[in-house]
Amino acid sequence: MVTRLWAETAVALFTLAYGLVIVRGATEFGIGWDASGPEPGAFPFYTGLLVAAASLGTLVVTWSKRLRADRAISAVILDGEGLRRVVSFFLPILGFVLLCAALGMYVATIAYLFFAMRVQGGFGWLASLATSFGAALTFYIVIERIFLIQLMKGPIEALFGL
Amino acid sequence: MDNFASLMHGFSVALTFHHVALMMGGVLLGILVGVLPGLGAPNGVSLLLPLTFSMDPVSAIILLTSLYWGALFGGSTTSIIFNIPGEPSSVATTFDGHPMAKQGRATEALSLAFLSAGFGALAGVLLITALSGWVAKFALRFSSPEFFAVYFITFASFIGLGGSSAFKSIVAMGVGFTLASIGMDSVSGNIRLTYEFDVLLGGVSFLIAVIGLFGIGELLLTMEDGLRFDGVAAKVRLGDVLRTAATLPRYWVALLRSSAIGIWMGITPGGPTAASFMSYAMAKRSSRNPEKFGKGEPEGVISPETADHAAGSAAMLPMLALGIPGSATAAVMMGGLMIWGLNPGPMLFTERPDFVWGLIASMYLGNVVAVVVVLATVPLFASILRIPFSIIGPLIVVICFIGAYTVAGKPFDIWLALAFGVVGYAFKKLDYPIAPMILAMVIGDKAEDAFRQSMIFSQGSLSIFWSNSLVTSLMALGLLLLLLHPLQLAWRGARRLTAAHATRG
Amino acid sequence: MAMFRTAALAAAIALVPGAAALAWEPTKPVEFVVTSGPGGGTDTFARVVQSIATKNKLINQPIIVVNKGGGSGAEGFVHGKAGKGDPHRVVFGTNNAYLLPYVAKLAFKPADFTPVASLALDEFLIWVNGSAPFDDAKAYLDAVKAKPSGFKMAGSQSKDTDQTLTAMIEQATGAKWIYVPFQGGGVAATQLAGGHVDSNTNNPNENIGQWKAGQVKPLCVFSPVRLAKSEAIFNGKGWGDIPTCKEAGLPLEAFQMPRTVWLPAEVPADSVKFYEDVLEKVSQTDEWKEFIARTAQTPRFMKGKEFTDFVARDEAANRKVFETEGWVVK
Repeated sequence: MVTRLWAETAVALFTLAYGLVIVRGATEFGIGWDASGPEPGAFPFYTGLLVAAASLGTLVVTWSKRLRADRAISAVILDGEGLRRVVSFFLPILGFVLLCAALGMYVATIAYLFFAMRVQGGFGWLASLATSFGAALTFYIVIERIFLIQLMKGPIEALFGL
Repeated sequence: MDNFASLMHGFSVALTFHHVALMMGGVLLGILVGVLPGLGAPNGVSLLLPLTFSMDPVSAIILLTSLYWGALFGGSTTSIIFNIPGEPSSVATTFDGHPMAKQGRATEALSLAFLSAGFGALAGVLLITALSGWVAKFALRFSSPEFFAVYFITFASFIGLGGSSAFKSIVAMGVGFTLASIGMDSVSGNIRLTYEFDVLLGGVSFLIAVIGLFGIGELLLTMEDGLRFDGVAAKVRLGDVLRTAATLPRYWVALLRSSAIGIWMGITPGGPTAASFMSYAMAKRSSRNPEKFGKGEPEGVISPETADHAAGSAAMLPMLALGIPGSATAAVMMGGLMIWGLNPGPMLFTERPDFVWGLIASMYLGNVVAVVVVLATVPLFASILRIPFSIIGPLIVVICFIGAYTVAGKPFDIWLALAFGVVGYAFKKLDYPIAPMILAMVIGDKAEDAFRQSMIFSQGSLSIFWSNSLVTSLMALGLLLLLLHPLQLAWRGARRLTAAHATRG
Repeated sequence: MAMFRTAALAAAIALVPGAAALAWEPTKPVEFVVTSGPGGGTDTFARVVQSIATKNKLINQPIIVVNKGGGSGAEGFVHGKAGKGDPHRVVFGTNNAYLLPYVAKLAFKPADFTPVASLALDEFLIWVNGSAPFDDAKAYLDAVKAKPSGFKMAGSQSKDTDQTLTAMIEQATGAKWIYVPFQGGGVAATQLAGGHVDSNTNNPNENIGQWKAGQVKPLCVFSPVRLAKSEAIFNGKGWGDIPTCKEAGLPLEAFQMPRTVWLPAEVPADSVKFYEDVLEKVSQTDEWKEFIARTAQTPRFMKGKEFTDFVARDEAANRKVFETEGWVVK
C-alpha cells in the first residue's frame, strides 16, 4: 500500500535530485551574462535551480498538509491489489528489456509475448506460440525488409545467419 | 488569377493514373510509418529517398509528400486508440482522443480527427495557392527575435491551462527544458550536460520521452485500475463514420481558428507540433466548458488535428520558396530537391512551374486520397480495441520498445523509454502535467537558441524584442496571453466579492 | 548447418590477412554511418553514393544508411569507433572527422579511424545581400575594417567551418565581425536574403536559390582557381565568373571542405582497398559528375597518401585558427 504522502515525497525528492544534477552539469560552462548574452550554462543552470526549488515547494506543501492532518494526504492512492497488478505487469516488461539487451529483440519479443499470453493471460499453447512467433515475423518483415532498419540482434539470430 | 491558371495546369500534371497510384502507395506506406511510434515521417521519407533518384522530380515529390500525409494520419490513429502518439505532432490528439476511445467512442474520435485534419490540410494548401508570393516575402522579415517571440506566444498560450499545482507545473516544464538542452549547443559549439556519457551526445530524443510517458505510462495506469478498454462493446460500422461526418459543420469555429493557427505556425515556422499544442490550448481557453477538455471533448480532437495538418502543408511553402524547412520531414525533402537538381528559392516558382504547381495540385489530391483511405481503415483500427487486453497490452509494449529502438538505433534508448514509462506513471498518478513538459522538450532548445542569437544580434540588449513593429506586436500578444489567466482569475475573484457584498447588503 | 559453416569459413578467410589471394568482399549488409541528420550535406553525399553503388552493383550486399548526427556528428564517429576491426561500417563525414575532437571534449580521436578517400571539395564564398552597395570583396572588407564589430556574419553552428573561415579572414585582414551562429546554411541564407545580417560564407548550393532571385550576390570564392564554368545564374553571371578571393586581394589561399569516407581502426588492408575502388568507380560515373556540377562542388578524388597529406595540411591550418581563437579543449 502506498499513501499519497510517501508517493509525493518520493517523486519530489527525485525531481529535486534531478534539478541538482542539472545545476552541477551546467556549472561546467559559464552561467553568467556576457557581451553576447547568456553563456551556455545559464539556461540549464537556472532551469535546474527552478526545478529543485519547486520540488522543495512540493515537499513543504505535502508535509504541511500532513502536519495539519489533512485527510487527502494520507489517503491510499495505490492499494495492495493495484500494486500487485502494476508490478506483475511491470516485471515482465523489465525482463523483456533485459532480454533485448542480452539476446536481441526477436528472442525477447517471442519470450515476452509467450509468457504474457500463456502464463499471465491463460491462453492455450497454440494461440500463444502462434501470436508470439507471428508478431516477431511481422516485425522482421516490416522493419528489416520494408524499412531496412536493423533491430538489435543476439547470438541466436547469428545462428540463423541473419 | 494567375495562380489559378497555374493550379489548373498543376492538376493536369498531377491527375494522371501514374501519379494517383503513387499517391495511394505513398499514403499507405505513410500510414504504416505513422502507426509505428518512433519510426516517424522523416525516417520514412529518407528511406524512400534513394528510390526517387531515378524518378522525375514531380513523381518523386508526390510520392514523398503523400507518404508524409499518410504518416500524419497514421500518427493520429495510434494516439487515439492506444494513447501512443505515432508522430510528435499528434501528442495533443491523445488528450481527448484517447479518453473518447476509452468511452467506446473510437469511431467518432478517429473520424473527427481525420476529417478535421483533411480540412486543415486543404486550408493550408489553399493559402499556398492564393498567397504564395506575399507569404514568402512576409516570412523573410523573420529573424531570431521574431522566432523567439513565436515560441514565447506558444508557451504563453499554455501557461495556466492545467489545474495542477504551480510547483508541479514548474517542475514538469523545467524537466522538459533541461532535457531539451542535453547534447550539442549550436550557439556556443559546446556539448552540454552529457556527463561524459557518449549515449547522451545526440541528446534525449523527444520521441523516446513520448513513447515512455504516454505509451508505457498509460499501460501501467490501465493495468493498475484493472481496466479493460471499453471499446469491446462498441460496434463499428461505416455508417457511424458518415454520421460523425455530418456533425463536423457544428465545429466550424474551432476548424477556422485551428486552421489559422496552423497556417501561421507553418509559415513562421513554429512547426506542426507546436501548432497542435497551441491550437489545443486556444480551444480550451475559448471554450464555454473548459472542464470537459481532457475527458473526451470532440473539440479537443478537432483543434490539434486541424492545426497539425494545416501547419504541415503550409510548411511546404517556406521550404519551396525560401529553402527553410518548416519541419524535420521538410528538411529531408529539401535534401531530395537538391539531389533531383532543383534549387529551393524564390525562383523555383517561375523556373519550374510544372514541379511547383504539380506539387501543390498533388497536395489537394493527396490529402483527399489520404482522408478516403484512412476513413476506410477506421473500422479496422477501431476493432483492434476488441482484442482482449492481455494480448494487446503486451503487443503494445513490444511495439513501443521496438519503436524506441528505431528512432536512432541506440540500445540505450530502450532503457530510457522504460525510465520515462515509470516517470510517466508516477507523474500521472500525482497530477504532474505532462503536456507542458512535452512542449518544453519540443521547442525549449529552439527558443533558447533564438533568444541567444537575438542577444548576439543586439550585443546583449533586451531592447531587440521591441525594436520593430513586427516583433513588438508578437511579444505584446505573448504577454497578453500570459497575463490573461491571472487577470481572468482576478476578475472572477472581484466579481465574486462584489456578488457577496450585494447579497449581504 | 552446412550453409552456416561455409559462411563462417568465408568470413574466416576474409579476416586472415595472409589469405589476400581472394580480394575482400563484404559478407553482410554494409552500414553507411552518416555524421549529420537527414537532409544535411553529408546525408545527401552518403545517399548519392549509396544510390550509385546500388544501381551499378558495386557492392554485392545491401547498403543500410544510418543517421547519427548528434553532437555535430560526434555521435556517428563514436558509433564508428565502436566498430573497431569491422569493415562493414563505413563512416561518411567532412573535415569534422579530424577537427571535431579539437573543439569539443569527445570520446574519439582521428586515430580511431582508417582513412579511405575523399570524393569532392565543397567550396565557400563570401555572399552579401543583393542590394548591398559592395561590388567586390575588397570594398566590403574595407567597410568592415572601418567599423569593427559593426557588421554581422551568419553561419551554421559554432566553431564549425563557417566560423573557422570567418576567424581566418579576421586573422588575415584585421577585420572584425559579429558572428551569428544559426542551425544550418539554409537559415543563414534566408537571414541574409531578408537583410538581417550583412554576409555569410555559405557553400554554393546553400545560396543558389537566393542568388537566382538576386536576393544575395557572391563576392569571391575561397578556392585556388575559379569554379567550373556554368550557365548564367543571375544577371548573366555564372559560377565561373566569380573571382577567387586571392584575385580579389584577400591574403587567403584557399578554404575548402572535403567530403570524406572512413573505416574503423584495425580493418584488413584489402577491405580499405575494396572501398577505395568502389568509391573511385562511383566518382567516375555520370550520375556523380552531374550531382557535383549541380551543387557546384569541386570534383577531386583522393585516396592513400594524397588523402592523408591533404588531411594533415588541413588539420594544421585549422588548428592554428582554433589555437588563436582559444577554442581548443583540453
